[in-house]
Amino acid sequence: MSLTAPATTTATIEAVGLTKRFGPIAAVDDLSFRVREGAVTGFLGPNGAGKTTTLRMVLGLARPTAGSSTIRGVPFAQLSDPARTVGANLESCGAHPGRSARNHLRSITTLGGLPPSRVEEVLALVELTSAADRRVGGYSMGMRQRLGLATALLGDPAVLVLDEPANGLDPQGIRWLRDFLRGAAADGRTVLVSSHVLAEVEQTVDDVVVIHRGRLVKEGPVASLTTGRGVRVRTPQVVELIAALERDGAEVDRHADGLLTVRRRTAAQVGDAAWRAGIPVHELADDTATLEEVFFALTDDTAAADTTEPVVA
Amino acid sequence: MTALFRGELLKLRTTRTALGYAAAAVILTLAFTIITITSGDLHSLADKRSALAVGSGVSAILLLFGVVGSAAEYRHHTLAPALLVAPGRSRLLVARMLAYGGAGLLIGALMLIVGLGVGIPLLSGEAGPSLRGDDYVHLIGGGLLDSGLCAMLGVAIGALVANQVAAVIGVIVWLFIVEPLAAPLLHRASAYTISQTATSLGGGTDGELLAWGAAFAVLAVWTAVFVVGAGVVDARRDV
Repeated sequence: MSLTAPATTTATIEAVGLTKRFGPIAAVDDLSFRVREGAVTGFLGPNGAGKTTTLRMVLGLARPTAGSSTIRGVPFAQLSDPARTVGANLESCGAHPGRSARNHLRSITTLGGLPPSRVEEVLALVELTSAADRRVGGYSMGMRQRLGLATALLGDPAVLVLDEPANGLDPQGIRWLRDFLRGAAADGRTVLVSSHVLAEVEQTVDDVVVIHRGRLVKEGPVASLTTGRGVRVRTPQVVELIAALERDGAEVDRHADGLLTVRRRTAAQVGDAAWRAGIPVHELADDTATLEEVFFALTDDTAAADTTEPVVA
Repeated sequence: MTALFRGELLKLRTTRTALGYAAAAVILTLAFTIITITSGDLHSLADKRSALAVGSGVSAILLLFGVVGSAAEYRHHTLAPALLVAPGRSRLLVARMLAYGGAGLLIGALMLIVGLGVGIPLLSGEAGPSLRGDDYVHLIGGGLLDSGLCAMLGVAIGALVANQVAAVIGVIVWLFIVEPLAAPLLHRASAYTISQTATSLGGGTDGELLAWGAAFAVLAVWTAVFVVGAGVVDARRDV
């Protein structure tokens, strides 16, 4: 079955100066970010970076020491119909181990004033129907994740907030989750998904918010983070190509095996310059970083210690 | 509020906790009634009424029923998904108290059916005056109110403490060590302790007693104090 499109596509999440202190320790420190509507936003950071604490504050489950957050312009607690506006799944699936998945979903549906028919719909969506009458205490980690996701989907919400949803999922489950998240965004939903495993989210997210030690270190579209290192070009006539490119105003770094990195020029411009100089080119591509490389660069402790102000893309 | 109450009732019905506590309460009532009546000469009205009353020990089970159920919300992290669809924490707490209060009434009714069903025939052979109609009204009415209120008080205590183990141990220590030790020092005021108001309300006749209307009011005040405390603490607690 497929998800039905939400009634509106104006959903956004915004945090302004969110701070959470536990005694002298700042778990979240003056964190501000914005989640674009209709996009899948990855909320990334190493373990202990403050991701879950931040999500709990956004969802009204934890009180910020300072700052505020809104969903569709109002604090979570003031949403007129929270069950149909925001669906969330935090670290635990939130079901009593002695209760069956079906009864767990029935209870949440009743508490939220949602149609009872949603229980069977979300069970089918997360492929848990056959195990729905088993006690949750006997579920595997992956099944609990699916149940948590089913709980989040009960209200058919316009905004999804998912904390490490891929934890415990097998490769098929991760692929299913990826397709599901992309489908949710295609339906106009806003998705904020936290993770510390970048391979899981790299193919899924449109934007990222990267935090480290409770502070924002980067925010923006994935493409803006992973591109911009230059152009990779390989040629047997290294010296001649360097001269041609430098005459053209480019900055060139030389590596082994005839590999050059060219900055301040696009791949097309580099190719044109080589063609005009009559120099053969064996490889030509934009030199993009993986999200993982960007993440490690941003959350490296030495680099992070040098960052006195958050860098917002 | 109706949806919250129905949701909490559904949660209550869909684990074995309530069933376990109901079974324990009924078995204890049965054992208490049989042992009390068969082990001594019950000649006075007070003795006979005490033998059939919902005792403070059984009230403690209902108190623990509420404590365990309420604190389990924090232990198993089941409160978060509930708050995500119904963010009003106080309303949710009140709905949970009402659901447990209703369950307490039902368990109390079972205890009374078993206790009176076994106790009345056994007492018929005892010498002395028989229990009157108003005694039975007190035993039944007071016993039901006692059961319901104790379950609600337990929910409030569980929400206040949140840590399930600490809450259970705290309640046991308070009811069975602190209050009995304090009773001689409190003299007449010992009638206002939690266990003694429960005894008075249920129709028991041991220790300092209150009239059952007064006992109901005092137990309701105890419950209200813990509800307000739980509401204040819960509103500031991170879930």
